[in-house]
Amino acid sequence: MQRERVLRYFAVGTLVLLGILGMVLPTGARSLTIQIMIFGIFAMGYDVCLGYTAQCSLGHSLFFGAGAYGCVLSMIHLKVGLLTALAISIGSGFVLGVLLGLICVRLSEAYFVIVTAIIAAVFHLLAMDLIWITGGDDGLCVSIPPLKLGFAEVSLYQPQANYYFVLFFMAVSYFVLARILNAPLGKIFLSIRENPKRAHFLGYNVTRYKLTAFVISGMFAALAGALYAVTLRYTSADYLSFYWCVLPVVWCLVGGLGTLVGPWVGVALMSLFQYYVSAWFTYYLLLFGVLVLIILRVSRKGIMGYVASRGVR
Amino acid sequence: MSQAGGYVKAMADDGYLLELKNVSKSFGGLVALDGISYGVQKGEILGIIGPNGAGKTTLFNVITGEQKPTGGRVYLKGEDITGLPPDIICQKGMSRTFQLTFIFPEMTVFESVWIGVYSRFRRPWNLFFSRADRLGTVAEKALHIIRTVGLEQKMREIASNLSYGDQKVLEIAMALSTDPVMLLLDEPTQGVGPGEVDTIINLVERLSKEMSIILIEHDMDIVARLCHNVTVLSFGKTIARGSCEVVSQNEEVQRIYLGEKMVCS
Repeated sequence: MQRERVLRYFAVGTLVLLGILGMVLPTGARSLTIQIMIFGIFAMGYDVCLGYTAQCSLGHSLFFGAGAYGCVLSMIHLKVGLLTALAISIGSGFVLGVLLGLICVRLSEAYFVIVTAIIAAVFHLLAMDLIWITGGDDGLCVSIPPLKLGFAEVSLYQPQANYYFVLFFMAVSYFVLARILNAPLGKIFLSIRENPKRAHFLGYNVTRYKLTAFVISGMFAALAGALYAVTLRYTSADYLSFYWCVLPVVWCLVGGLGTLVGPWVGVALMSLFQYYVSAWFTYYLLLFGVLVLIILRVSRKGIMGYVASRGVR
Repeated sequence: MSQAGGYVKAMADDGYLLELKNVSKSFGGLVALDGISYGVQKGEILGIIGPNGAGKTTLFNVITGEQKPTGGRVYLKGEDITGLPPDIICQKGMSRTFQLTFIFPEMTVFESVWIGVYSRFRRPWNLFFSRADRLGTVAEKALHIIRTVGLEQKMREIASNLSYGDQKVLEIAMALSTDPVMLLLDEPTQGVGPGEVDTIINLVERLSKEMSIILIEHDMDIVARLCHNVTVLSFGKTIARGSCEVVSQNEEVQRIYLGEKMVCS
């Protein structure tokens, strides 16, 4: 109980802090923070998969890319509004999650990792080749329609509007996921992570719940992809590359598996590292790898896992 | 209790609660179970004994759906449950423990039992968004079970921090949490200290008033104390069955348990 409270305070505190920072940050730092918030959504969703049901998916770039393309393509070809486009993205994440999940979640650990990675790679190649739809490596640019809020129209070309738009979705994602994970479903996920066979013998269809977790995390990855495309007003086949499969794993490991908000710390650490260290050292990833090893050597639970378990005592 | 042909009837005979008909299981060329048939009545405690590798645990695996039998049928309350997956069989009222402790290591005692209780209260509308800690009936039932097994002092402890004996008790509590009519216990006292053995025996005795129990056990004293009937397995075959006295006089059983004195009080 205590552990959950530490994490909840941290989450709410961070959201409030981000709300304040939006008004004071300079342009460069603000766009970096927007990126961190988007990746934070991606990472939270991924934690449901890896941290709560112990499914190490290397296929989440598919959801991320599908979200980005779902949003951009529907805005270009269907001329839909911004929120509709986001809904379409989340929907495409859901559909792909179900399809991919039905193939994968039955597989045991290593096979699951390999098959998800292969499927993601196949879609990456497809996106590279189907240039007439995806724009291939060059990608597609899109002009973002203004956000209609009934009484007013807000253009996301205004950086501050973009910032709070993303922050809103980050907060909503956090509260929805926290609610789900505090609901019986979350407890079932935990029991499956702890001992899937025992959960099966307690009357739970383990495959179905693993699929549920997989789909949920796919939907949030798609939402993150869509927000990323909206922020950059651009998407390309690169969003489906293997890079986006590995990133969430690193975020979650560094931040703390099964903490939901821990991955935010992982995201922030990695993004800041990338932003500041890459400026003077080309092989910054090498340094980051060493840093990850050190963090995991000190605490297997990652940063927030460590902090939260300290807070209990 | 009336005695008919050495087979003690624990209760009025209104059909078997669990019935096995000619159940067989082979792994490739190895025959692990060879035509096992018997029935368990309401309120009965059936002991299964036999040397290592006799097929006792395989029998449990086949009954509870972990492995599909290669031949024969299993009936629970007259319903054919052969080859159904474990989660369905569990919902039909059969529950089991495992030989080696098989718990949720990082969950508390309360959460472990809560999960099992909830599997009977699961509805689409309370699955996703209701607060788990506000489902009053589930928590009450979980508490009741924890009190029944006597773990209420250790309710908030992480399961892997419990003593081995307590983990065994937690196993039983988790098996009880799904509200079974048929409970299968796989060596509940194995590796447990003497003081805790008595706790477990008393617990099983109390539980037998509410449900039927099949007990795999090596310790003959415990079998003699608890079980109405005993089945002896050896190399996948039933070699003797009946009340404890009858079985202990069987020559083949004595040969298998050579050197061990079988005493029935």
